[in-house]
Amino acid sequence: MNRFQSLFIIIASLFFSTWLGIVVYSYLQLGHLKSLSTSDGLFPLQYSGQAILGAQVYAANGCMTCHTQQVRQVDLTRADIERQWGKRPSVPLDYLRDRTAFLGNTRLGPDLSNVGLRLANAQWHYQHLYEPNIITPDSIMPSFRYLFRMQKIQGETSAQAVCLKGPHAPPPGYEVVPTEEARNLVAYLLSLKHDYDPSLPNQAAEK
Amino acid sequence: MNDEMTSSSLTFSQILSAPVQFPSLLRSQIDHELVGPVLLFVRTSFLSFLVGSLLLLLCSLKLVLPSFLDGVNFLSYGRLFPVAIDLLLYGWAIPGGLALIFWLTGHLSGATLPYKRVLIAATHLWNSALFFGSLALLIGYSTSVPLLEYPTWTSFLLFVAFLLMGLWVIFILKERRSSLFYVSQWYLLTALAVFPWIYGTANMLLTWEKIQGSAQGPIQAWYTGSLIQLWLIALPLAITYYMIPKISGVKIYSYYLVLVGFISLLFFAGWSGLSALLGGPIPAWMSSVGVVSNILLFLPMMAVVLNIYHMFQEIDKTTLHQSPTLRFVAAGMIFYVLGSALSILHAIPFANAILNFTDYTRGLFFLVLLGSFGMTFLGACYYFIPRLTELHWSSSSSIQYHFWLTIIGIVLLISAMTLGGLIEGVAWNDPAISITNIISYAAPFRWLAVLAWGLLLLGFFFFVRLLLLMRWQMIEKRVPNSL
Ligand code: HEC
Repeated sequence: MNRFQSLFIIIASLFFSTWLGIVVYSYLQLGHLKSLSTSDGLFPLQYSGQAILGAQVYAANGCMTCHTQQVRQVDLTRADIERQWGKRPSVPLDYLRDRTAFLGNTRLGPDLSNVGLRLANAQWHYQHLYEPNIITPDSIMPSFRYLFRMQKIQGETSAQAVCLKGPHAPPPGYEVVPTEEARNLVAYLLSLKHDYDPSLPNQAAEK
Repeated sequence: MNDEMTSSSLTFSQILSAPVQFPSLLRSQIDHELVGPVLLFVRTSFLSFLVGSLLLLLCSLKLVLPSFLDGVNFLSYGRLFPVAIDLLLYGWAIPGGLALIFWLTGHLSGATLPYKRVLIAATHLWNSALFFGSLALLIGYSTSVPLLEYPTWTSFLLFVAFLLMGLWVIFILKERRSSLFYVSQWYLLTALAVFPWIYGTANMLLTWEKIQGSAQGPIQAWYTGSLIQLWLIALPLAITYYMIPKISGVKIYSYYLVLVGFISLLFFAGWSGLSALLGGPIPAWMSSVGVVSNILLFLPMMAVVLNIYHMFQEIDKTTLHQSPTLRFVAAGMIFYVLGSALSILHAIPFANAILNFTDYTRGLFFLVLLGSFGMTFLGACYYFIPRLTELHWSSSSSIQYHFWLTIIGIVLLISAMTLGGLIEGVAWNDPAISITNIISYAAPFRWLAVLAWGLLLLGFFFFVRLLLLMRWQMIEKRVPNSL
């Protein structure tokens, strides 16, 4: 065996252990969790088709660059729970239905793992996404106006029209309505709730 | 290949304590062959740095003036930030590192270079994937996996291009004239072998064929941690161990330290990323391993520091003063030590509870990217570009400005983000403090970050000026290869 090969083998075998320990373990263990079957149904809840599309809007617009989706353990910090970002710390099972787990690594804004529990009103989210400053003055969250459309009011105002007053109000005779993307996104946000108890016994061994 | 047998019986202490020196004729022949592909990637890397840091300047401005250029989809923060970070990573650090690997491999193995076409084709493939991938992110095709945002076709093309380049390097290594491996080559080979491994695995499981969401967190963390340690830190070490002996004639101080440093880095690197998910949705043992291995990364850092400290002691002061390369490398190593200290702090649970997810975490990444990698890489550029092109730097005052503005920029950026992050973290941990207040506490520090990006860019303009002056020389000399 020459020096070149032995160097290669050293590199490979040392790094192999982390690959085995993290990647293979995660894949075999965490990658094959089964949903929790309780008397109240299956948890975590299934996403609606609209929410699944909404998760793509979430990804496309980089909400993950400013928002995490993980509530930390109480032995590390109590703050996440005290800020009502969740009733309990996140567990791997919570991400079972997510195509991509938007764990995030930066909190320029609040954690969103349970935003559907604390902010359950679609109109609130439309206003906030259209212009965050309406809800939180001096917010640094960008405005997602481009997910909305201004249109002439035909007869009655649409049921979904965003309620905007003051400087952000559309000109008279016009209304601002969410596009399909915005509606999907809000459906996704509203379905972000992880309040089941993961320690409940699994009633069905089979899914 | 014939002398492999004898070399395998050498002990480590007999391995080279300074890079091999080939006859100058061979060296200039190697340079002549390398100039095309290397400059191709060097140009990608400088251009990406320019665009990436301009975008980061814009992003940092948006965090204090959110209404600036607001409400336009492709200019929104959530789209710009990944584009910028990925440009710095896959446009600057990786092509820059590869250019360096090509050059160092050529020079450390004394091989002339067959299949140059493959290499050039691969660099073009990489560049186009990068360009179209960035556009795709801007129009909203992001996977939203941290550092793996590019759409699947982009990451696949990047992966293929990298494999081609890696195979090319391995081919050269097989052809090498010197049977001995110098330390720098250990690190280079590690970086080269590990990148496709982690990039392939992570993309395979997180973007190409997504596995269950419940298993994605640890793999995301593993990718980030390995990339930082085994590319953004391994390459600066390779550069440092190459440049000090080359420029000053000082030999490696202790081979055993090098060995300890190398092996312990490899061993702890992959695990260390896990501390990013401390207290998060991962099994408890993973959190603990993450913390422990981050702390143990102190070992390779100390090994490197001891070695390099002794080597720098022996360099005479005029050499240090005259060589921009050595100054950049020394600064890069200081940033490396600082980065290690800050990341150990970040991994200690009670500090992590405050610091994680704040600007501190991001600052740490910038410290490695711009400080450790960036400074040593720029140092290397000051060394190899003139040799490669047979031209010289025309203005020493521009080098001075570049050096000092970059140093001040990095120090300012890191202090602002570290301190700002600390304050944000303390505030987040007190539920009585509202988000509006947290934003207002962070604002002064974020303004400083804007200023820091401005200084960094200004410094880089001096470097660009140097490159343009060099290009001017080239035109005058009618050298066919242009920057
Ligand atoms: C520049 C960073 C940034 C980006 C990008 C961003 N946000 Fe925010 N977000 C914030 C900040 C800061 C707050 C807190 C102030 C506020 O309420 O506006 C916030 C608040 C929120 C809230 C209210 C949470 C609460 O508990 O009050 C929701 C919901 C939200 N963001 C959703 C989103 C979505 C969806 C996206 C992507 C389309 C997004 N954010 C992108 C920074 C950001």
